[in-house]
Amino acid sequence: MKSSLIRPALALALAASLAACGGSDKAEFTVAGSVTGIVYDGLVLSNAGVPLKVAPPTTAGSPVRFAFPDKLEYGDTYAVTVTGNPAHQSCEPSVPDGGIYTNNSDTAGRLVTIDVAIACRINTFAIGGTITGLTGAGLVLANGSTGGTYTAATPATPPSTTPITYALPVVAFGTTYGVTVSKQPAGQVCTVVNPTGTMGDAAVTNINVTCVAA
Amino acid sequence: MKSSYLRASAALACAVLLTACGGDDGQLLLGGQISGVTKPGMILTNNGGSDYEVPVPSNGTGVSTFFFPTLISSDDKYDVQVKSKPTNVDQCTLFQNTGRAGFDVTTIQIACTFKTQALTGTVSNLKNELVLVNGSNRVTVPAGATTFAMARVAQDAPYGVSILANPAGQSCTIANGVGTMGAADVNNVTVTCAP
Repeated sequence: MKSSLIRPALALALAASLAACGGSDKAEFTVAGSVTGIVYDGLVLSNAGVPLKVAPPTTAGSPVRFAFPDKLEYGDTYAVTVTGNPAHQSCEPSVPDGGIYTNNSDTAGRLVTIDVAIACRINTFAIGGTITGLTGAGLVLANGSTGGTYTAATPATPPSTTPITYALPVVAFGTTYGVTVSKQPAGQVCTVVNPTGTMGDAAVTNINVTCVAA
Repeated sequence: MKSSYLRASAALACAVLLTACGGDDGQLLLGGQISGVTKPGMILTNNGGSDYEVPVPSNGTGVSTFFFPTLISSDDKYDVQVKSKPTNVDQCTLFQNTGRAGFDVTTIQIACTFKTQALTGTVSNLKNELVLVNGSNRVTVPAGATTFAMARVAQDAPYGVSILANPAGQSCTIANGVGTMGAADVNNVTVTCAP
């Protein structure tokens, strides 16, 4: 009785050690990674034509892990691309922490694990419009305290009658803007129409400024 | 004759060797990135040596790459400190500011934050909710409120309080809503709503 138990146990141990030596087992690699900066729905990543939807994190701001269902064998190549951006965002392969290059495409097995880095950012658009009637020097427009300024060039003499097209630094989707005349031009008073709003999915070009004699 | 040539060249070789071994060659840059420089007065020193004033970048961002005018030598120890700050800077945090030079040192990071001031005001006759903005700073003022506070503003930065959404059934105007922040709080922004 005792010996009959020992024999199968030995056989099992032998089989196990053979398998561990790499008999029929092939190394398998999962194409996985993480996405940072994702806020809105709609991100679709693809590898070899296989799409994978990635949802925003439950805790805002934390990275999202993803893994493609199909496993790769040693030597297979992979190339993870962004085939669908989230609403109001743009995503692209990024440089992982401590890395130098993007790592979205490579050969499985070159590294122990595949950990692709993808980064998303909120889309930004310019805000601006036209300036009409400017004859004095020194006009400065500002978008609040942190949104940047636009300083108009000193008008030629005599001033051109063509409206000047201006743009202030870009504003991210969902962020408010409020353009005011930070410094009035010499001898004139300028007013702004459509000065405030919340950024949508296109550049704002109707923040028009009209200047008249003071 | 022959031996005097030999002597001279031996002396020259000796001198070259000594220089190569870390005499005072001074050929490495010492610098990095700094933020928060919108006014003159940002003075840095290395090892407590002579003052170096960081030029104010022309684009108004306050972010600049800086390099000490004096080159340092391979194997020199360096210790960069902020000796004095422009009047509108609150504090500076330094990263990788000490070490021993191997190659050009370009990795020093100095992050300075600005002093900020409050931007507040009063509202009169507000019967419904009003939304004010100062650029990206959005503040909802509830019905019946008589005061409001926008986010603090860095000294020397412009501000411009404007109306994003008028209260239902009312129209509001703003007085003293535009300016450049000085060294004191601004508390005189006045919003008047009608009817």
